[in-house]
Amino acid sequence: MNDSEVIKLCKELGCCDACCLRYVGLKTPIAYENAKQFLVKYVKEKLEPVNNDEHSKGQDETKPDHVDQSKEQGKEESANNVEQSKEQDLTEPASDVNHSTDQETEPLKHEVDSEALRNEVDNRTHKKEADESTCDTSGAKEMSGEPPAKKQKLDSICVSCLGVLQEENWQQCNTMVKELLHKKQYESETFACALSAPIATMLREHYVMLCLKEKFTHYDTKQLTPLKEAWKWSFGAQLAAHVGMAQDSGAVSPLLVTLNLEYPDDLQELEVLKTLSASLFESRSKQRQRFAVEFTRRSVEQALRDVTLAGLRRQAAWARGAPVPRTHTAPVSVQAAHAPLYLGGRYVKLSRMLPQTPWLVNGLRMMHSSVQETIFEPIARLYGMSPEEMEHRLKFMSAGREDVDVRCLGEGRPFAVEVSDPQRQPTADELRRLCDEISEGEQVIVKNLVKVSREDLALLKKGEETKSKTYEALCIKLSHTEDDELTANGDTAVRVTERDIANINSYRNSDSDSSRVLLTQRTPIRVLHRRPLLTRTRRIHDLTAYRVPGHPQLFVVRLRTEAGTYVKEWAHGEAGRTRPRLQDALRARADILALDVASVDLPWPNTQPIHST
Amino acid sequence: MEFKILDSIPDLTNLKSFTERYFSKRYITNVNGVKNNDIMIMFHSNRIALLSLAPSHFFFNKKNDFKVNYSLGNINRLSNSVKGKSKKGGQHLVPKSVICKIEYEDGTSFAVPCCMKGSLVEVNEELVKNPKLLREYPDEDGYIAIILSSIAISEATKNEMLTHEEYLKVLNSFELND
Ligand SMILES: [Zn+2]
Repeated sequence: MNDSEVIKLCKELGCCDACCLRYVGLKTPIAYENAKQFLVKYVKEKLEPVNNDEHSKGQDETKPDHVDQSKEQGKEESANNVEQSKEQDLTEPASDVNHSTDQETEPLKHEVDSEALRNEVDNRTHKKEADESTCDTSGAKEMSGEPPAKKQKLDSICVSCLGVLQEENWQQCNTMVKELLHKKQYESETFACALSAPIATMLREHYVMLCLKEKFTHYDTKQLTPLKEAWKWSFGAQLAAHVGMAQDSGAVSPLLVTLNLEYPDDLQELEVLKTLSASLFESRSKQRQRFAVEFTRRSVEQALRDVTLAGLRRQAAWARGAPVPRTHTAPVSVQAAHAPLYLGGRYVKLSRMLPQTPWLVNGLRMMHSSVQETIFEPIARLYGMSPEEMEHRLKFMSAGREDVDVRCLGEGRPFAVEVSDPQRQPTADELRRLCDEISEGEQVIVKNLVKVSREDLALLKKGEETKSKTYEALCIKLSHTEDDELTANGDTAVRVTERDIANINSYRNSDSDSSRVLLTQRTPIRVLHRRPLLTRTRRIHDLTAYRVPGHPQLFVVRLRTEAGTYVKEWAHGEAGRTRPRLQDALRARADILALDVASVDLPWPNTQPIHST
Repeated sequence: MEFKILDSIPDLTNLKSFTERYFSKRYITNVNGVKNNDIMIMFHSNRIALLSLAPSHFFFNKKNDFKVNYSLGNINRLSNSVKGKSKKGGQHLVPKSVICKIEYEDGTSFAVPCCMKGSLVEVNEELVKNPKLLREYPDEDGYIAIILSSIAISEATKNEMLTHEEYLKVLNSFELND
């Protein structure tokens, strides 16, 4: 077996030029840019000498194909490999290519020095130009020496890819992609493309490989170049020229164009699998809930394990080879999506009537706005989003949250907004203007917005669990302490004394260096309807108090707490469900009147300029 | 502009306690036909309910020492435990279920009924160690139990019970009759 024999058989079966290269296992992107030309030269220049050589040996072809013989042929085969080693430096190792057809966005993994190859191909193109111009467009004639009557017609549809790789079918795809990109106005310089191909191509590929295996015992089915890869190298390359952007891999380019190609007889052709892999589809139909769709890439892949050449040939439609396609695949839809943009900043919240996110009770909103909406609206305006669009294209994330009646002061709380499918990156000026517009209403203040990376978001999320926070609580003393009563002097009004402040400032129940107070908190009643009942230990790292001028009964406590501490519950004690509580430090009953977050101790976002993701 | 906690001092003439801020109080008097066997249930807006004795309960007229006993024959309320967000495994309660008994030194006692359908989330274990909280702060540290029920049952129970104003009226009419 050699490549030219493989190509010959593929042609006989009705494969297009690009598919021939795929079955040979060629994984050189440049080869697919003009598969027709490449095939001619590949066969002529690289294979003919070897081809003649092999013909003289009369290998493979003259031997009856039999599985048992593969062992006997082992030695000869390895000798053959050495012989063929020269032509192998043209192709790259097959082992590196991912064969899973489910992952359309899988980055390309080509290691061949394509620059060198391009030069080589160019040289040969020049050399053979004269030949080429007069040459028949079909590569089949040159390499197989078939009489003209038997060769494939120019416009015949490939039995394997159903036209996906045939450039005569690309016009409509090009137009659709161009229209969509024009409509969405991306400012990206590159794009990646992904293919959703008809599933029937899997069955047809399986058939071609079974035929190759029948004829050439040593044909390695793993060498097949996946359809989606060949499509990127052929269709994708010409699309790049058509839309004026460079094609890059999905792992690199932020803009992904997905084409959905459909083949009208797709499901009808797959029906045969229900006979050939009856048990699989019976068990799937019994689990309708789980497997709502009969033919998926996965189910067909499983079914194909049961499909043999003999079995397939017993089916009427396949008795004389792969069914001739009535029509080629055609694009039914195109999607384009740009990788999300992440904006990071810190918000100061000045209102005690503003929830962080829309607060809904039984579908009714309790407050007319929220921090999230205040930040979203200018961003939505910048990207021309409608309110409905805003709801699913913007996502709010933050390092924790405060209650509706708690302000967040100081440097504010770190937050990020994910903008999905952004047409472009905002300029520094636009970011500044966003801050101004957010802060206009004086309920939410954002001083700075920067672009952040996905990794930064992980730090934001992680910070939610690890950061400490500093609070200020306005509190009231509700009863006398024991020593108050000794010095009351007839005046019964409750007052905060210097001794009370000293008591709070010196209070501790923990010997630890890093924390003064260890709290035992049950899940607060206010969240108990939606969270499990647990008893947690939390720490107050630091605790200081001061009196309020003009208000003898009031005092302020400033405390730095571990993430997850319920400060209000510590202050009023929640009927004893948090212990110890503020009243234990004060030595009198106490309650809380107002609470502010004074600082969220998480340095985020990094203010260094961050390159776009 | 610098913002300080002191720029947000509220009106101090109308301060509300923790339970007044977050709960609505409902009452039922003469439970089981026993005079002044008056119960108060405090409903949080999220339907969690706190069971307590109403201020008019006969308990508050008696000065004898007492204990709070959550262990009732074959049911021990102290061994109640709930799991997960849905509070699975809580003891099932009907209006007549007894949550605890108040036992006096002289051997007399009375039972506290829960007066609603639901499941038991938590009892106030502190009352076992420190029973006088029941007398001193019946609507805060002296609460007896936390009960969870469906929104429908919680709403229905709330509607059947007396509001604070109705309760005060009922108390006044009793005083007049006496
Ligand atoms: Zn093809």
